[in-house]
Amino acid sequence: MSRFHPLTVTEIKRDTRESVIVTLTPPATANGDFKFIQGQYLTFRRVFDGEEMRRSYSICAGVNDGILRVGIKKVDGGWFSSWANDELKVGDTLDAMAPMGNFHSPLMPLEARRYLGFAGGSGITPMISLIKTALEAEPKSTFTLVYGNRSTSAIMFREELEDLKNIYMGRLNIVHILESEAADIDLFSGRLDRAKCDELFSRWVEVEGADLAFICGPEQMMLAVSEALKAHGMDEGAIKFELFASAHPGKAKKKAAADGVAAKGKKCSATIILDGAARVVELAKGEETILEAALAASIDAPFACKAGVCSTCRAKLVEGEVDMEANYALEDYEVERGYILTCQSHPRTDRVVVDYDQ
Amino acid sequence: MADEKEILDYLSRGGKFSAPGNAPARYRAELLRMMASFVDSEMAGAAGFADCINKGPGVKERIAASRIVLEKLDHAGRVLRIMGDFGADAARYQNIHPWADRIGRNDDIGVTRRGSDMRLNVFHYPISGWTDSVVMNVMMGAATVIQLSDMVNCSYQPLGFALRDILPRETRHAELGEEGLRALAARGDAERRQIDDSVNYWWPRIASTFGAPRSERAALLKRFGLRHRPNEELLEEWRNRMSISLSSALGSWGGNC
Repeated sequence: MSRFHPLTVTEIKRDTRESVIVTLTPPATANGDFKFIQGQYLTFRRVFDGEEMRRSYSICAGVNDGILRVGIKKVDGGWFSSWANDELKVGDTLDAMAPMGNFHSPLMPLEARRYLGFAGGSGITPMISLIKTALEAEPKSTFTLVYGNRSTSAIMFREELEDLKNIYMGRLNIVHILESEAADIDLFSGRLDRAKCDELFSRWVEVEGADLAFICGPEQMMLAVSEALKAHGMDEGAIKFELFASAHPGKAKKKAAADGVAAKGKKCSATIILDGAARVVELAKGEETILEAALAASIDAPFACKAGVCSTCRAKLVEGEVDMEANYALEDYEVERGYILTCQSHPRTDRVVVDYDQ
Repeated sequence: MADEKEILDYLSRGGKFSAPGNAPARYRAELLRMMASFVDSEMAGAAGFADCINKGPGVKERIAASRIVLEKLDHAGRVLRIMGDFGADAARYQNIHPWADRIGRNDDIGVTRRGSDMRLNVFHYPISGWTDSVVMNVMMGAATVIQLSDMVNCSYQPLGFALRDILPRETRHAELGEEGLRALAARGDAERRQIDDSVNYWWPRIASTFGAPRSERAALLKRFGLRHRPNEELLEEWRNRMSISLSSALGSWGGNC
């Protein structure tokens, strides 16, 4: 039931010393699943040393560009980003889920809108998509991008942004803020913090009358920018946030139980009884839930909310012990009788028997 | 990658998420619970009002009731789609509870949830006729508007933006109720007594949808940026709004407020 598709790497372009731009082609079997909305991201998976890693990267292309590509910046200690920068080759395949994400607003081709964008480092990746798409689809709209980086050499998409400025003459303004380089004007050096934003908004970038602001970068930068925007009169509902693309874990790794009983990596054998039939599945302790393991084995186990709220995935634990992450649905007496929410349950014992029929 | 503590700090300072990926487990559970409560309430509310359409005195009233039913179902569908982004099975979810089921008019279920049906308890009580449905709609409509207003800037932006679109329509539902209430009140004293009875019936049941004062869950939701104002403040706003809208509809209503 995997929702991953194998994408072929068709081009790898070195962008800065620490980043690459990877162009991908979806397989014919994906049937248009990779059509995307500006600002969306792809989630990749890859196994490193026996452990599956998932990482998400924003698509950095306009919706009508006819290509699918992502920018991957090397993160200190980041396995996936280091591997993509150092070892990935043209012709390799990468498993990816269909595009996801909500960092966009509907396009209004007839309107003249004024957009503000704030990017920190690789936070530029979804902005490229937003800028290209909006300026092409809305001929009367303008975009002001404030882009913070450590130094000139760290600026991702530097040339491409210059080209866009020339294509959309007068409609795209770019303000670079560089941390470690003294610019001619003090305003353009330093970090994109609250003080810098206040300074920019009173001297350079007009917040009043702007329709929408998009912010993507590290948490502290995003908070500073949004606080400054609000202080300069922007409505909170007009500000859109996207946490650093590379910070999307895709799917958070389940923590091992604090007492170490459900030590990560150890296997548990789970017998799952549904509609009178028993099947045995193996699952990694501390990682998968019983429901996930059942679904992965193509068992049609019932579920609805997957958040411990609705109790559709309720089953009776006949043998073994589990930890439940959250339980909003079961009453105490049900828990005492051995009922569990399988979407929230991680086995503690090496063997569990779970009965959906009881 | 940001760790959970940084994420919680980010949220408590007004940071937002635009996708499910970064949500820590506890946050995710509270958000899904909030959305489930909204979806179940809209589904159950629509199911209850659907039965009232034919009780409307004329075409205009039946259109108003139909519109409310239609739009509440649409609102449920919109938020259910967001739950789907978190892995919820929307097709199965929309039929997991018998949304039209009601308890007895005089049963008292307090504030305890009924099994895993997350509708607000007020939607378990039956509506007793056209006048009663109009009063319930005026009072619960105002409560819904106040409760949703506190969630439009919530830290999960897709939900916040969906609620931004939903809010003006829920506001209109409450206004339609007030128009209906004025028309009923103009019919005379017998009708007004019936209105009074309905107000007295619904008042405590709707007041309890605001939750307990100084609730631990409300404090947690505030830390997560999912809610902003305390329960008692929202309740106070509702009481004030009720005293204004009921007295303007009824001329001089001096009931429960």
